[in-house]
Amino acid sequence: MVITIDGIECECEYGEFLRDIATRCEIEIPALCNHGGLPGQGCCRVCIVEVEIKGWKTVVASCIYPVEQECIVYTNSDKIKRQRAMVLSLMRARAPASKEIELLCSKFGASRNERFIEQEGEKCILCGLCAKTCESIGSGAISTINRGINKDVSTPYDEPSEACLGCGACSEICPTSAIEMEEQGSLRKIWGKAFDLVSCEVCGKPYATTQELDRNAKVLGEPASRLCDVCRRKAIADVLAKTFGS
Amino acid sequence: MALEAISKQEIKSLIESYENDRRHALRIMQDMQRIYNYVPREGLEALAERFSCPVSSLYSLATFYRALSLKPKGKNVIKVCDGTACHIRGSANLIGSIGRELDIAPGETTEDGMFSLELVNCLGSCALAPVMVVNEKYYSKVSMGQLAGIFNKIREGEDQ
Ligand code: SF4
Ligand code: FES
Repeated sequence: MVITIDGIECECEYGEFLRDIATRCEIEIPALCNHGGLPGQGCCRVCIVEVEIKGWKTVVASCIYPVEQECIVYTNSDKIKRQRAMVLSLMRARAPASKEIELLCSKFGASRNERFIEQEGEKCILCGLCAKTCESIGSGAISTINRGINKDVSTPYDEPSEACLGCGACSEICPTSAIEMEEQGSLRKIWGKAFDLVSCEVCGKPYATTQELDRNAKVLGEPASRLCDVCRRKAIADVLAKTFGS
Repeated sequence: MALEAISKQEIKSLIESYENDRRHALRIMQDMQRIYNYVPREGLEALAERFSCPVSSLYSLATFYRALSLKPKGKNVIKVCDGTACHIRGSANLIGSIGRELDIAPGETTEDGMFSLELVNCLGSCALAPVMVVNEKYYSKVSMGQLAGIFNKIREGEDQ
């Protein structure tokens, strides 16, 4: 199937998500709550685009819109520009402390709206990506809690969670850097809990928590390597070089 | 039911009276709310163990629904309607007066555990505005002057 996005013809499969197709064709659609490793959440609405089918146009969230028939897509029509700017204005009111949101606001011309009261110091846009991530790696230490204007992200009872491995995946995936993770020497603090960091066997850099490595070992069924990301990549490259000759 | 009455055994048999399937979580929590006047932490944790799911996912559920509470609710739950009609007929003042009378804010419970105050959206009885419901009994066109009397009666009812 071939669809047209911003005048460019894009080859795609039935049921593929619109934003994935665009990304493959190097057409940029902004997004906050979409991450390649997880299914779309469809909650930030920054990724909206206009889809035209048989002359009818609708606005959809491209990260969760499956393409099922030929269509023409506009990622930057006047309507989309207007609506995206509005979404971002609202988001800035929610998370005025987030640099990422501020950046998007200036990029897409989202003006400050006096009607929207800003939540001072807030960075979280409540997309829930962090909780989904934590759940999908099997910890489930955090979740969204309450609802409506009281919605938040937290550990159960707001206490340090037994389930938390201190892996920091939530903090890494957060599109607005809202989750604080403090690191000092071989100590990491996150969600009100302190973790000892294990050092890389080669370069000596503290890189993962004991709990995290224990979990990895359990999943793998063998002790996980004690190498940090960089050294592990080097080690693999060395093996490849030896095998195939350099 | 009093706090000390929560026994692990009781929670266990409640949980096990349902099939081991996560979709029953909400119903079991509703049962706990009915029995204990709240969803006790022991209950939430036992449920997580039974379903082999994170406590956080149940905590998320328990905080999402207004019908569930994580702290014991009062013996008498006062629901004040703050829907449009009641609002126009002065429910905000009513809520303020109840708050002063019992020294609690909406969502809170009195220290003696007798009353909880909750705000609800339309109760569908706009002709009676402003409406207050205590233990399923409706009080219509409530004025501030009546409050002390109503609460005293309820307290006395408890003494019997
Ligand atoms: S902390 Fe970040 S990832 Fe989690 S809900 Fe807030 S914005 Fe989304
Ligand atoms: S990226 Fe599509 S709604 Fe957030």
